Amino acid sequence: MEQEKFNAWRLISLSPWPHWALALLAVAALAAVWLAGRGLRGETRRSRRWILIGLRALSALLALFLIAEPALQLLQTARVKNRLAVLVDASRSMAFPVEPGGETRSSAASAWIAAHRAELEALEDRVHLEWYTFDKELTPSDPSTLARGAPPRGSATDLVAALKSVASGGTSATRKLAGAVILSDGADNGALASGLGPAARAELRALGAPITALAVGRSAPRDLAVERISVDDFAFVRNTVTAEVTLTARGFEREKVNLVLRREGTVVASKELQLEPGKERYTVPLSFAPDSTGTFVFTVAAPVFPGEAIAENNSRSFVLRVIRDRVRVLLVAGRPCWDERFLRGLLKQDPNVDLISFFILRTSSDNSGPQEELSLIPFPIPEIFGQQLRTFDAVIFVDFAYLPYRALDIERYLPNIRDYVLAGGAFAMLGGEQSFGEGHYQSTPLQEILPVEATEGLASVSEDFRPRLTAEGRRHPLTSLTAGEGPNDAAWNALPALPGLNLTRPLGVQAGARVLLEAPTVLVEGRPAPVVAVREVGLGRSLAVTTDSTWFWGFVTSEQEGSAGRAYQRFWNNALRWLVRDPELTQLQVQPDRPAVEPGEPVGLTLSARTPDYGPAAGAQLGAQLVSEDGKVVAHAEGVAGPDGTVHLEFTPPGPGAYKIVASSERPGFPGERASGAVAVRSSGPEDADAAPRPELLRALAETTGGTFAQLPRSSMPEVKLAEPEVVEVGRRKDVPFWDRWWFLAGLTATLASEWVLRRRWGYW
Amino acid sequence: MHRRTFLQLAALGAGALLVPRRGQAFGETAKLAIGQIEHGGRWNPRPRALRRLAWEVAQRTSIETGADGVTVRLGKSGLHRHPMLYLSGDGGIPPFREEELAALRRHLQYGGFLLVDSADGSDGAGFDASVRRELARLLPASPMGRIPREHVLYKSFYLLDHQGGRQIVKPWLEAQVLDGRLAVVYSQNDLAGAWSRGEYGDWEFECSPGGEPQRETAFRLGVNLAMYALCTDYKDDAVHLPFIMKRRS
Repeated sequence: MEQEKFNAWRLISLSPWPHWALALLAVAALAAVWLAGRGLRGETRRSRRWILIGLRALSALLALFLIAEPALQLLQTARVKNRLAVLVDASRSMAFPVEPGGETRSSAASAWIAAHRAELEALEDRVHLEWYTFDKELTPSDPSTLARGAPPRGSATDLVAALKSVASGGTSATRKLAGAVILSDGADNGALASGLGPAARAELRALGAPITALAVGRSAPRDLAVERISVDDFAFVRNTVTAEVTLTARGFEREKVNLVLRREGTVVASKELQLEPGKERYTVPLSFAPDSTGTFVFTVAAPVFPGEAIAENNSRSFVLRVIRDRVRVLLVAGRPCWDERFLRGLLKQDPNVDLISFFILRTSSDNSGPQEELSLIPFPIPEIFGQQLRTFDAVIFVDFAYLPYRALDIERYLPNIRDYVLAGGAFAMLGGEQSFGEGHYQSTPLQEILPVEATEGLASVSEDFRPRLTAEGRRHPLTSLTAGEGPNDAAWNALPALPGLNLTRPLGVQAGARVLLEAPTVLVEGRPAPVVAVREVGLGRSLAVTTDSTWFWGFVTSEQEGSAGRAYQRFWNNALRWLVRDPELTQLQVQPDRPAVEPGEPVGLTLSARTPDYGPAAGAQLGAQLVSEDGKVVAHAEGVAGPDGTVHLEFTPPGPGAYKIVASSERPGFPGERASGAVAVRSSGPEDADAAPRPELLRALAETTGGTFAQLPRSSMPEVKLAEPEVVEVGRRKDVPFWDRWWFLAGLTATLASEWVLRRRWGYW
Repeated sequence: MHRRTFLQLAALGAGALLVPRRGQAFGETAKLAIGQIEHGGRWNPRPRALRRLAWEVAQRTSIETGADGVTVRLGKSGLHRHPMLYLSGDGGIPPFREEELAALRRHLQYGGFLLVDSADGSDGAGFDASVRRELARLLPASPMGRIPREHVLYKSFYLLDHQGGRQIVKPWLEAQVLDGRLAVVYSQNDLAGAWSRGEYGDWEFECSPGGEPQRETAFRLGVNLAMYALCTDYKDDAVHLPFIMKRRS
């Protein structure tokens, strides 16, 4: 009676011995048989030998049998119905007609569901039926809703994602997928946007379920669309950029299309294209050279022709970050020295730096012979400190004095350098016998921009000292040799002592100056002397390095095995980036969540604010405006920076177009910072960009998975292929041991006894 | 002056000596102090030559030079305090140890410069043979090659088209190049022999066959070598080219 409840069985071992012990015993049993055979090699009578070996083998088998304790496990199993998923495309492209003037694709799909619902439901004796709509996501539905027609509103189509979501569980995680019926126009703009590639094929095969693909939609509506724009995320100013525009044109003859590329309203490139009958896809390169740095929104637009299905997809926007191509640096040295040598070497090998050097190689007191035998050139003071000064991103003085060269009249140009910095330029002065107070700069216009006070009379010291980071130096990007405060401190402490410095007085924070590195053992009026100090002055920045031996951080350090002298490289790279206001080092940064959003989606962005000493500006009042191409503020949002100095702002969905983001920060006692970015709100989503049905994609999908393909409308129900994996559930189970019968033990005793008796009789032992 | 006032002033004066030196010239490390390599052979055949060269460099250019040449030993700490090194010899030199070569290689790879000067006028023997062997071991991937006449070394300060030295064994200089820059420059013409003055201020050696003009060229070459060590290819910058071409023409 009870046996009838079990419908499956399997052989198991009830032995408490671990598997490895049983394996060892099996090896021992084999060894026993082998030993028996080896001992009988001299036996001339074959029958005797085989009888004795046979008895030993039988004994070994019985012994193993008794130790392994075999049993029959009776199981109660049940076959679970697998799932058949019916998926109906609910993306926006399903709202287009099956063919010009016909019913919508969505209506065609719902009509087919209504006509064949009963046949599908008849499959429920074999499979569990599940109903879904899908676009870029999967949504459970029911047959009644689908037969009435699900509203086609989805902003994208992703067939593979929908199928994977169904296969991974759908609404019933324990049942496997036996198959899927898909009703769609095949206008996929997700993983299959560019066709069914090998990776997608492998993914679909891995589902293990045949797909019955039913294609709705026969022909594309008349439409011209900017389908895609291929362009890098960033470009170099004044260098030509090419945007490759992919244009699709369906239902056109030989019309001429004038493609226009605009940057925030201004036309920067255009090209006329001649359409050809039968050709649907065109690639048009549009080239232009951005003339200023920043983040801009560009829009490619084609004219809207009469009778087009979608007018919104005739334009498309993209965001491009235009960066400087190379930083132009003027390096002026008062004499050849090692700091100049290594700094020039570093800047020359940097592909991002355009270095212009001028070194004083001879002074008026030097006696080097006739001028025509020298390679010296006149120092072009009026050019570099006059007309050309503003073409430089940074000016660096290395041990350069202006006084000894009265004939050159350098003094006359010092106000130019001050004004250049106040207007947004960058200036650095390195230490030396002709720098700061030793160079008598304290009474020049340069003192107005220097981050330290170069007072005469303080002069310099020639004693070794180890620089130390100040509290501000620990946060500042310029003195960051490595990530993390502790490792950075350790990196600075590992550098060798420096042999001397120019003595200067630090300027206060109120002057916008900060000491980042100081000499704790060299005091100026009771305070550690500045070694590295920075200043925000006017719209520009200045840097003071009061030692003439920064090359110790590179070449001298590199003497130690394992040290590559990277501190020097890192320090000067940081310094240059900070001086020229590398966008990544500005104190306010704006980062849109995405450079372009689909129609109807909100625009999200993150504002990050830092204090002038580069700590997080917690509590700062941050705001951002969306400014349209015609300069109008269309949206505004504000927030307070959290402990990490950031705030996330979101704008309600603005209309399609290109927008400039203008962000600002306000902190009591600090000058406001501004930053800008750009974002594009697309006029059409991917569903509108290309609404052509792709029955060939659905056919390939069906063939790949071993399913069937059919084009709607059709009256008959296509064959729905189903995979039937053996899914067994274990309910009750019972172990029936059969090793514990008395005759197995008796048999073992008998075989052992027989072998013993026969061996005795036949003369063994 | 009262005795007490005098003593107070004297005490103040003595105290001032204990204050750290201030107002003195600093920048010794920024100056050019050539490190002369001591090796197992006759490593210093012209002991007064580098001092004379330093004096001439300081007189002729804006380069600030350190005091006398500094003796350095490969493999000992402090080698990198002297980015410009000088290796000389009279007669063969014993092979450097591997760690000595590694230290010198590291120095050059990180931006150092080595001037090698043969004092014995040898060619294929003596110092020449042994130093070529060692330089091949030093930078095996950078074979020694002749420095072309249009190289920036010959226009780094003086416009040069001749060689100088105590004698002209080879009318050219040779070099080993690292990352596009001359890392090792080798002269077989005994430059130091031409630079060297005797104890009483007279020239220690005659220069042949060119006499005093050849000595002047040796000094000019020394100046250019120092300038190259400190400015590398500065004179190759585009701004200098029109002037240099005009004077060369």
